[in-house]
Amino acid sequence: MKSKSELTDYYYKSLYPVLKDLDKDRKELRSRIISIGFIYTIIFGLITFTIFSYVESMDIVYFFGFAFFAVGGFIYKFLVKDYISEFKNKIIAPLIDALDEELTYHKDLHISELLFNRSKLFSHPDRYSGNDLVKGEVLNTKIRFSDFHAEKRHRNSKGRDSWSTIFKGLFVVAEFNKNFIGQTVVLPDTAQSTFGDLIGHWLQSKNITRGELVKMDDPEFEKRFVVYSNDQIEARYILSHSIMKKLVAFEKHFGHPVHISFVRDHIHIAINYNKDMFEPSVFSSLLEYKTAMEYVDTLHLVTGIIGELKLNEKIWSKK
Amino acid sequence: MSTSLIIAIVVILILILMYNSLVNKKNQVENIFAAVDTQLKKRYDLIPNLVATVSKYMDHEKSLLEEVTKLRSDANKPNISDEKKIELDKKITSALGSIMIAVENYPDLKANENVMHLQRSLNEVEEQIAAARRAYNQAVTDYNNAIEMIPTNFMASAMNYQRKQVFEIVESERQNVDVKKLFS
Repeated sequence: MKSKSELTDYYYKSLYPVLKDLDKDRKELRSRIISIGFIYTIIFGLITFTIFSYVESMDIVYFFGFAFFAVGGFIYKFLVKDYISEFKNKIIAPLIDALDEELTYHKDLHISELLFNRSKLFSHPDRYSGNDLVKGEVLNTKIRFSDFHAEKRHRNSKGRDSWSTIFKGLFVVAEFNKNFIGQTVVLPDTAQSTFGDLIGHWLQSKNITRGELVKMDDPEFEKRFVVYSNDQIEARYILSHSIMKKLVAFEKHFGHPVHISFVRDHIHIAINYNKDMFEPSVFSSLLEYKTAMEYVDTLHLVTGIIGELKLNEKIWSKK
Repeated sequence: MSTSLIIAIVVILILILMYNSLVNKKNQVENIFAAVDTQLKKRYDLIPNLVATVSKYMDHEKSLLEEVTKLRSDANKPNISDEKKIELDKKITSALGSIMIAVENYPDLKANENVMHLQRSLNEVEEQIAAARRAYNQAVTDYNNAIEMIPTNFMASAMNYQRKQVFEIVESERQNVDVKKLFS
């Protein structure tokens, strides 16, 4: 696996000609979007205004306002589709290839619903989508991750559906280096940080949807996470002191809420970025350092999980 | 009349809840201790094999090997108390540690496949024991807290519950490794 600086070098050196071409495409696309958006707004405004002068009802204005954004969003998606696909083929795919030859990239696939549900981290979604699946081996350890968006359906009294997000971000599944049979779930600690230790612990122990509360002996870890498991000892076998330290460091590094679970000999990590990763923005340059670093950083951080958590150092009976 | 009845019922309910939570905590301690015990036994079972393999090579550490064998037979005696088990575990951990360090002095032994195998299984059991110990210590801490904190402490003293001992890290394990000493 390449280091971060090697990867940054690769992005700017080997990919530079492609980036330049692609950035030209991006600029053209941007001006096209702006001009189409301008014409679209004027036409839509005129239609609304004409209809409003006939039927003087505010409902019409609300309806058209809603339609304006819905249709606009659709047109925008249609316009940028090719560009995004091109970007992923020409930039993200080679970047992942350069990172590690053992990894393969599929821009339209995602983690299966089965894996997502198996993790026991979230409630089962009614609708899910995703893209940018990366799978393969890092340091002889299987790993796969992708963007994942899971949603729940809510039906109101009128029978109208609305959707709320359960999870949106990167979902990572990797082989774990120890054998275990139970289920251990590590969640961000909200109760303890809001209500303090005593009441927080009491509230956590009353969470009936999860297993038994496991109090860990690392104060920093305990402050940030709450652990539920159906096996008190196994939870501590998995969460050794060193792994707790590393998970704390990880959470700080990601800077977003992290949910972790250990089920069926695998570690599942859900990083709640709350956005689609590896997507290019039409309105900022591909050559900008910040943009480039976001792709490189995310990729490196996720694949680095294996080395950092030493998932490649399998316990002897697992070899 | 009815108010005092309600108060009485509430008091009884609170007493029952306190009683149950104490029993629950005590059972949790016992439960996890049983699991610790199983893991410790797994380690004891590795000792005869280890002693048999290394004794062929080790001449200077005979007393160490005898000590480990004796500790193992002590630990396998029936009806020993939990405190005694904790103490024996402490001694065996440090004795096994010394043997493993001694193994480093014998290149033949270090390369012996059987020893390598034993070393790995020991490491693995060791890790499981560490996890079980931590679980036990947490259960004991919860139990000790309950019998010392108001209001459950009154109930606990009425039930004659005593403080329990936690597993401590062996002093030699806690000390930092002295690299100089290793190379001298």
